[in-house]
Amino acid sequence: NGDDLLQPLESCISDAERFKEAATLELTCTCGAHFAFGGIQESSYYTVTFSGIQCSSCGTQLSSLRVASQLERLIRHHISLYYAGWVECDDVSCGVHTRQVSVYGKRCIGNTGRSVGCKGVISYVYTDRELYNQLLYLESLFDVDKARRQELRPLQDDTENRIRSDSGETKKGISQSTLDALAEQNRDTFGAFQSVVQKYFEQCGRRYVDMASLFNFS
Amino acid sequence: PKKYQFRTMRQKLLDTADVLDEQIDSMAKTLQKHHKIAESDFGNPCIASQFSVYCCGRIVPDSPFAPVELRLNPDSLFLETSRLGGIGQRISIDVQSLAEYSFFPGQIVGFKGKNPSGERFIVEQVLDIPYLGAPVSNKTELLEYKTNLDGSSMKTTVLSGPYTPSTKIDYSLLESFVQKLNTEIKPHSVIMFGPFLDITHPSIRDGSIESVPELQGKKVATLDNFFRAVITPILKKIDSRIQVILIPSTRDSISSHAAYPQNSFERKSLQLPKNFKCFPNPCSFQLNECLIGVSNLDSFKDIKDVNRGKIGDLNRFDRIADHILQQRRYYPCFPGSLKTRKGPDGTVEHICGADLDMPYMGLSELYDVLPDVLIIPSEMRYFVRVVKNVVVINPGYFLTGNNAGTYVTLSVKPPNPEVDDDDLTCINDDDRLYIHNIWKRARVDIINV
Ligand SMILES: [Zn+2]
Ligand SMILES: [Zn+2]
Repeated sequence: NGDDLLQPLESCISDAERFKEAATLELTCTCGAHFAFGGIQESSYYTVTFSGIQCSSCGTQLSSLRVASQLERLIRHHISLYYAGWVECDDVSCGVHTRQVSVYGKRCIGNTGRSVGCKGVISYVYTDRELYNQLLYLESLFDVDKARRQELRPLQDDTENRIRSDSGETKKGISQSTLDALAEQNRDTFGAFQSVVQKYFEQCGRRYVDMASLFNFS
Repeated sequence: PKKYQFRTMRQKLLDTADVLDEQIDSMAKTLQKHHKIAESDFGNPCIASQFSVYCCGRIVPDSPFAPVELRLNPDSLFLETSRLGGIGQRISIDVQSLAEYSFFPGQIVGFKGKNPSGERFIVEQVLDIPYLGAPVSNKTELLEYKTNLDGSSMKTTVLSGPYTPSTKIDYSLLESFVQKLNTEIKPHSVIMFGPFLDITHPSIRDGSIESVPELQGKKVATLDNFFRAVITPILKKIDSRIQVILIPSTRDSISSHAAYPQNSFERKSLQLPKNFKCFPNPCSFQLNECLIGVSNLDSFKDIKDVNRGKIGDLNRFDRIADHILQQRRYYPCFPGSLKTRKGPDGTVEHICGADLDMPYMGLSELYDVLPDVLIIPSEMRYFVRVVKNVVVINPGYFLTGNNAGTYVTLSVKPPNPEVDDDDLTCINDDDRLYIHNIWKRARVDIINV
């Protein structure tokens, strides 16, 4: 089961790559504007100022509770999505996508529903690995050190800018000195948001299981 | 409790399957023993045979694509066998010759019948599942409870979240209720079910929770801090002589254990005083002699049976309560419920669900005895029923939508083993063991908030 293999030097993979599939954190402002929040980086919809996240539509500073509440709601949404327990068959000609599970787990119950015939292998659609990755992504958004190293997953609406920068043009965005200053100024506030994600990491089986199987605790 | 402290978000398909398989085999053993059926009389219902066999399995829909929201019909039923009983295969069942039945997905059943063609198992008889025994106490214990109560009835108030309207966050109704609890109701204990702050509330989704008046001037950065800043002070006003029992919901923002079975809240992190006790969901506990089983997952809504005959004429809640007692599990349906919303573009959005952590569903079993009182809050209309001598209660919600809802007060006449009446049943003269007969001594009032 490849899912359980320790990934080699996972930290060497860029956030853009590792969090490719992760859902974005959408924030709603008091003015009703929604925007995808991608941490301290350039966006046309919000600005991170020295005192937090500011909506570009109306200029309001989003309160910590407003941000934390929407962040935690998203985390719980994903946990619940994970626990919906959808499974699917890897045989493309079968196409079974269901929440029923056979007493063999990996055996497909097939189109006939009789648990005979299909040789495909069943697995959870939303894996614990993806859920863990989703949590890591949300935590990374408030990682001010990553922000100053410009290692955050780029926002969708910034893709064009990135392509231009890859082709040698100057990268548009926040200057390094501003990034450094913003990172320090927001360290505590963003730390509180990270603690919201931490609350679930402490629960998360994935974070502990590899250690346990290596050293055989308990 | 330790066993509930499992790590969530690590559900393995094979562990899920082990639990599903074991549910069938352990019921098969129970039925064999109870009906004194030889193991050799058990057969595989999926294989063609001219002879009747006994078998045990799980009721499942006839298609992997059947949505859980849909009610099954008599022609869409399959029986799933265990690995041991029929190498996990599923077979169409024919229930036409049964005068009465009630089946739902996830239910474990025992049948006698035959499969002449290999295509369909014709059910001739549904095997009765024996009920667990009633809890008992000895004379010394009972006398002690009687003395503690000093002649008065044991009074417990039961209420269930949501405690705030569905369109805004406002705990003023709870606040005035606490006042009433202290001055008018004055129970010995209160059982409060979550959600206290529902993570699916629209004010959390859009962040407008920030504008709650109680927060003005306070620096509250997270939902956990919100709980301690707004909800804890209200709960703390409950008279310290009242024992308060908190049962979480998987939709409680304060709980990091967002799966059922669910670990208890941490009293200390909620900054609640010692008259508060935090219990897991589900669990059972004793208030004096009275064994109370609680589960905060809506079985009364989620068990959707297909039925026929006399049983179908029964009150639906009686029928479902009976299923829970027979199945010996607080939430016997599988897969668990799912709440979704269809977007304007046709996409289906997940809202919430039963969030079953299948490998740990063993923790949702009733174990060795029936409870005296079974409390499962439900979105369905409040009710109190006596089923198999178990007092079954749905207190209703404290608020339904934006309207004040209901709560329940349970009063139990003190036990008196020295008087020979119907209030207790002595089952063993040597050990002086008594069945509690709570259903005979209890009075349950459903009251508008
Ligand atoms: Zn705005
Ligand atoms: Zn298949």
